Amino acid sequence: METRDFIESGILESYVLGLTTDKEKEFVLERVLTDQDLTDYTLELEADIMSYFNQGSVPPPPEVREIIQLRTTRRDIQKKKHVYENKSSEQPPKKDEYLEIEVNDTHIKVHKWWRPAFIAVFILSKIFLIAALYFYFKAASQEQEIEKLRAPGIETTK
Amino acid sequence: MKELERTNNGTAAHPVATSKPLTSLEIYDRYSAMAYGIILQIIPQQHLAQEILVNVFASPQLQACNSYPFSFAACVIKLARSKAIDMKKRIMELDNSSATLPADDNDKSPQRIFDLAFRQGFTPDEVAQKLFISKSEVLKAFHDFFKSYRNS
Repeated sequence: METRDFIESGILESYVLGLTTDKEKEFVLERVLTDQDLTDYTLELEADIMSYFNQGSVPPPPEVREIIQLRTTRRDIQKKKHVYENKSSEQPPKKDEYLEIEVNDTHIKVHKWWRPAFIAVFILSKIFLIAALYFYFKAASQEQEIEKLRAPGIETTK
Repeated sequence: MKELERTNNGTAAHPVATSKPLTSLEIYDRYSAMAYGIILQIIPQQHLAQEILVNVFASPQLQACNSYPFSFAACVIKLARSKAIDMKKRIMELDNSSATLPADDNDKSPQRIFDLAFRQGFTPDEVAQKLFISKSEVLKAFHDFFKSYRNS
């Protein structure tokens, strides 16, 4: 197809507007990238299309920008975290990569699961303490009983 | 090819692949009004249009525009339209309705064909089928539409 016929066929407009199929897209892109006239025409066409749509432009409310800012920031943080995790799993950390810093803080941070674990250990320790005291006093009283029972027997044998 | 630049009637056409890729907010500041206008043409409900606008500019696909071989604006136009049409189709599925042409609609003008394809979301094949014309006539109508816009 000649360049002029290609232009007049309207396939370039279809491509720029995103109305082509994947196969057509590849075909158009290949032609445009190899033909300078088509490249120039595509650039002109895109400018026309942009100008056409700019006529109908409507400024969005400012809140939308804030939402986008929040979402993109969150995404960037996740991305950075992901990259960091990948890096740390791929390469062993070098000693030189760490910065030595002086910390005056006397507190430590522990995982939140330590709280119920500490509570459980505390409660169990109290239960065992009570049980130990109970059995201790019980054993002591039984020993006294045995001693009392033994005492008359010894006297009678004498 | 990645360094294509141009100016058209003073309208800045940004270089496609600059040394530093544009961030989502930079793109938003330049093209949000145009994209919002396009979305509103396809979905007139403002709350839905704003949701789509957020999806467009917070989408990772937007960063792919940094490697699009032509203008950034065209890439944004495509993305805004595609997101709006997707939403429109989903709404139609929920309503159990489908976009149909009026039975006596014989308007085959480039304006009408462009409207059906771009705003109503019909593919060129579907437009051709509905208007009883060939696909090449549909594509030619797109060319004629922008030619007449350029000459007006």
